[in-house]
Amino acid sequence: MTVRWGAALRPAGQAAAALVATLAVAAALLAIGGHSPVEAFSALVRGAFGSWNRFASFTLVQATPLLLTGLAVAIAFKAGVWNIGAEGQLYAGALAGVAVAVSFPGAAGASGLWLLPVALLAAAAAGALWAAVPAAMKTRLGVGEVITTLLMNFVALFLAQYLVQGPLQEARGVFNQTDEIPAAAALPSLLPGSRLHAGFLLGVVLAGAAWLYMTRTPGGFRMRAVGASTRAAEASGRFAAQPVTWLAFLVSGALAGLAGWVQVAGVTGRMYEGLSPGWGYTAIAVALLARLNPAAVVPAAVVFGALSAGGGAMQRDAGVPEAWVRGTEALLILAVLAVDRGLEAARRRRG
Amino acid sequence: MRVPAARLRDVAKRFGRVVALDGVRFDLAQGEVHGLLGENGAGKTTLARVMAGLVSAEGGSMKIGGRAVAFGNAAASRSSGVSMVHQHFSLVPRFTGFENVALFNRDAWSRRGGATAGYRERVEARARELGLDVGLDAPCREMSVGEQQRVEILKALMGETRVLLLDEPTAVLAPQEVEGLFAVLRGLVRSGTGIVLVAHKLDEVLAVADRVTVLRKGKRVLTTDATATSARRLAEAMVGSAFRPDRLADKMYSDFGKMSSGRHDPVVQSGVEASRVVASLTDVTVSSRNLARLRGVSLEVRRGEVVGIAGVEGNGQRELAAVLAGALRPDSGTVNLPDVVGWIPQDRTEEGLVGRFSLAENVAFALHDDPACRTGPWLDWRAIEHRTAALLDEMDVRAEGPRQPAVELSGGNRQKLLAGREFLRSGDLLVAESPTRGLDVKASQAVRSRLARTAGADTLGRPGKPPPGIVLISPDLDEILELADRIAVMVRGRLVPLPPQRRSAAAIGEIMLGTGGTGP
Repeated sequence: MTVRWGAALRPAGQAAAALVATLAVAAALLAIGGHSPVEAFSALVRGAFGSWNRFASFTLVQATPLLLTGLAVAIAFKAGVWNIGAEGQLYAGALAGVAVAVSFPGAAGASGLWLLPVALLAAAAAGALWAAVPAAMKTRLGVGEVITTLLMNFVALFLAQYLVQGPLQEARGVFNQTDEIPAAAALPSLLPGSRLHAGFLLGVVLAGAAWLYMTRTPGGFRMRAVGASTRAAEASGRFAAQPVTWLAFLVSGALAGLAGWVQVAGVTGRMYEGLSPGWGYTAIAVALLARLNPAAVVPAAVVFGALSAGGGAMQRDAGVPEAWVRGTEALLILAVLAVDRGLEAARRRRG
Repeated sequence: MRVPAARLRDVAKRFGRVVALDGVRFDLAQGEVHGLLGENGAGKTTLARVMAGLVSAEGGSMKIGGRAVAFGNAAASRSSGVSMVHQHFSLVPRFTGFENVALFNRDAWSRRGGATAGYRERVEARARELGLDVGLDAPCREMSVGEQQRVEILKALMGETRVLLLDEPTAVLAPQEVEGLFAVLRGLVRSGTGIVLVAHKLDEVLAVADRVTVLRKGKRVLTTDATATSARRLAEAMVGSAFRPDRLADKMYSDFGKMSSGRHDPVVQSGVEASRVVASLTDVTVSSRNLARLRGVSLEVRRGEVVGIAGVEGNGQRELAAVLAGALRPDSGTVNLPDVVGWIPQDRTEEGLVGRFSLAENVAFALHDDPACRTGPWLDWRAIEHRTAALLDEMDVRAEGPRQPAVELSGGNRQKLLAGREFLRSGDLLVAESPTRGLDVKASQAVRSRLARTAGADTLGRPGKPPPGIVLISPDLDEILELADRIAVMVRGRLVPLPPQRRSAAAIGEIMLGTGGTGP
């Protein structure tokens, strides 16, 4: 649809309002906790945006897995699929990517160029497979996906624990981690001299593609229609909702799976138990802050990436505990929901 | 004089740029039925919702039973004795009639959370007293629309009720049920309740109301005793000074009270070639939850004809429509359908339109697969918006434009949009379930003449294509008799054809009642 700036900017304004409200409450909490909000915030800003390198190497690197998982959640939610399982799908993707990569330790140079794309595909497929289980249970048995996707997270976590202690453990057998992936499987750097890797670019491209798909194609229209009302989709749209629901599950799982492998291939180089600090869950907040708009997931992920990057600096420079950052993230989710619902209620009162 | 049941002064309300109520004054006496008339979007429902506290007004004052009540406070309205029965019911489908009544009434529950002793008996006694025939033990989802409405009314009347607001209550009822409802209302006013009856059908309002108020574009244009006015004067007040008597007006006046005899001559069937059959059902059976909904239904629909399906709602019409639209696969029997079927479903809020989608997006439900609305893999939203704008114009939908969210439209305008979309879509078959339910006189006429023209030949946006066959399913006998070339009656899942030589409301009524009863 042709862009309506007024309508297009309203959600951005709402997200900004939620952000400002959150920071105000967070500042009050800092003050109550005996910290100087000014000092803490300046540490946070310095940590997240202090220099180009700081921004690229910390904020954007932290934002990358949130961008991919946030995209996964936004697409699923938009299609009415309440995928709470991005965390598990992320682990499934990371495991599959690593399994492929470490199987070819000798891959290097021009002859090893195939390894990275194959690992990416394996990760996407594994994430999709992880989402396929709840998809089948929802479409065939009518089991709600909120529970099943959540439970699949624990399965993935335990599977990862087992694999990095067992079959996939490093050859030395010392730590619970895999071998280092071969150089051919690693994501190239995006900015020389920084830690920013091509995974961020991949996320931005996929966000753009997802936005085009959702707003400009018949398939995306069908997804939004099913998300808005399955019955309207079937009665008015005359198409079956089930294949659309399946597609949403699979795409969402694949994106979350990519997030896991991208983190390994771009940052850690190895797979280990605590790879994700809960990105799959924070992704829900990212998607909600973006109002489920795939394009807006990019800035939303950067906001959370900045919180995460700046939070570390704040802890170091201002002595504010890490828990405060976690709390602020939670506050942000509440603020987004409150702004959303508050506006809806106001609208209803008016009309 | 006694304290008025409700007294509203200078009530003002806007929705965005649209003025819904413009300084409206409204008085409801105790023990009167007060008809509230107006076209779609005139503000009738909004005024009722203001009284119920569901919509906040921006100006004016409201007194219920002599006490001032704040706007926009549903709890305050309710505790001062205002109850509303909505056009779209608010029942929990899985709950029984009794559970739905109890759910809404706080005194059904003891402080500790259990049910109040004897509440069931009180509900039964109240139903008897009101003369409401309600199945208290059946889940509401298995009830006919008329029965659900009786549950709603009982639910609304369990507490002490000073003001009862009924929004389009007759729109969903068969003629016999309307009489039953009116009998209930007459009993109620004797006990002092004031009743506001929001309605379109002038003759019905005149039959039951003591006074009538007409709204036009948010303004009160007339309040009068029902005995001191006529359908003609009310119609003029509703439509306004711009209104000139033309064919439409003649139609409006001649409609009241009398049955028209059918505009089309019955199709000469012996001369019809088989190739003109666009859809056929043979011996189709559908059951759900162990209830037979369709029992051996056979039907042929030919190009250019309107097949009217009459009958009291809940006799299998919804299943028949879903089968014809290709949305429901029968348990047995053969079905031959064209590729594209237009369908105006009965349940418009759930199945018809998506409220938070724009009008263009709602129209896209019909167009998203149309090659004319694509450029390569992309949807051509500009083309869809153009078609939508044309549709709004053609169907006289009052809207800001294709980008307005559907939820902002009034019920009647939403319905016109939906009907228009399905006309746009219909390839060879159009299934219309109560297409004018809830529409005012003018809008109904517009939809009906669209139906007639569609069956005739020219069709919106699809020049040169042959006309579709139309299946018109409606409990409104006037509508069926006016439009249908052939008529059949649904009775308990069976389709009984009406012999062409016995084409009258009386004959249809006999078939409906011959096998008797309401609902499955």
